[in-house]
Amino acid sequence: MLPVSATTPESAALATEELLVQRLRERDEAAMTIFYDKYSAALYGVIFRIVKKEEIAEDVLQEAMVKIWHSFGSYDADKGRLFTWVMNVCRNLAIDKIRSRQYRVGSRTQPIEESAALRQAAEPTFRPEHIGLQEMTRQLNPEQQQIVDLLYFGGFTQSEVAEELSLPLGTVKTRARAAIKVLSKLIR
Amino acid sequence: MNIQEYIESGILEEYALGVLNEAERPEVERMAAQHPEIRRELDEITRGLDFYAEAHAITPPAGMRERVLGGWQQAIQQTPVQPVAAPVMQASAPEPVAPMAPVSGEAVVRQMPLENPGSGRTRWLIAASVALLMLSALGNFLLYNRLKQTEANLEVAQTEQSRYAATQQAALNERDQQLRVLRNEAFQQVELKGTPKAPDALARVYYNAKTKAVYLDVRNLPAPPEGKQYQLWALDNGKPVDAGVLASTTATGDSIQQMKDIASAQAFAMTVEPLGGSASPTLTTMTVIGNM
Repeated sequence: MLPVSATTPESAALATEELLVQRLRERDEAAMTIFYDKYSAALYGVIFRIVKKEEIAEDVLQEAMVKIWHSFGSYDADKGRLFTWVMNVCRNLAIDKIRSRQYRVGSRTQPIEESAALRQAAEPTFRPEHIGLQEMTRQLNPEQQQIVDLLYFGGFTQSEVAEELSLPLGTVKTRARAAIKVLSKLIR
Repeated sequence: MNIQEYIESGILEEYALGVLNEAERPEVERMAAQHPEIRRELDEITRGLDFYAEAHAITPPAGMRERVLGGWQQAIQQTPVQPVAAPVMQASAPEPVAPMAPVSGEAVVRQMPLENPGSGRTRWLIAASVALLMLSALGNFLLYNRLKQTEANLEVAQTEQSRYAATQQAALNERDQQLRVLRNEAFQQVELKGTPKAPDALARVYYNAKTKAVYLDVRNLPAPPEGKQYQLWALDNGKPVDAGVLASTTATGDSIQQMKDIASAQAFAMTVEPLGGSASPTLTTMTVIGNM
């Protein structure tokens, strides 16, 4: 289910990704089904993590797929993996969604939404895929995790994180770097 | 700029996170192309973030695959493909913009003579606009209803959740209290064994002689007859003292119950009494008894 390069041999993953990119470039609509099967769990997981509502996450994913299809010409395989690119499209759409006025007005009428308790309870069922997540987050200390979450799921810049957490910018940069280092080490 | 300084400046992270603007991105790409160390560092950051994303993967809800792929197909058939020049990994790639109509107003006027098939076209366009407006209004109405319904559902779910949390908290507090009793050395355990009437019956009393507190933990009791209830008695110098009736969850062994405080006792026993209990025990119905 997961498009995890850590579990599939890198070369094989690349080969299928290349093929997929080629088919998408040729406007092969059937390739989008393969795209969905390959990436939806990861894309949906991140979108859900940002918007916190299943129905909205689904809308954002669909919107993202339309955008990916239409702007596929701007994807440059030399600059990075397809996964990285599509994940950024999804993340940006999801972040735009939670920053939109409409969304915030809707959320404000439900203050409980913002409570930490609810955020934790957002997992309605046990999801075995999350064992990997727990394993991973154990490797990050809470400060690192908080910063990576704000950067990755909140769409904050490092300066904005510094302001939000009342930390010197240098500290934020050091922690962010250290956290991302930890993450990349976990793959090997 | 020193390469190490550049790497530590945090700009590579910002690039990978997609928060750099169009002017800043090419600079990073140029630096990465020129310096293998920077390229390597950037790749590592990207891999780390991708891994973070993958770790958050969740199985989408049932039926989503068909809905999303169906919706996608419908959407791309409505909007034809347009060449886009959106830069890669931009914070928010601009929506493809349809080419604007010629700016010069003259051109428009010249191309719309009054007396030719154009007027029929105009009328058709107006009709189409009205139809679109009505469709849009209908769509808005449907979406608004859906929004209201979603809000209502959310409210219900939230109410239910807080109610559930409160129940769970109460249950937890109760269990905590029971655990304190079970672990407290000051409590003396009294085994109540079944009488010949109910040889398999078994219960345990926890009695604290200092605080006078009495807790009852039923292991096995036959169900009481219709309209009857179990009642616990303390026997002090042979005299029965009412220690309270058993809640139904206590009688079935589902929870430990705190009974009435007892000043002094040498034994405990249970009888079957009418609902609400009796002032003195019906000795013929004695089910369990045990000495301290």
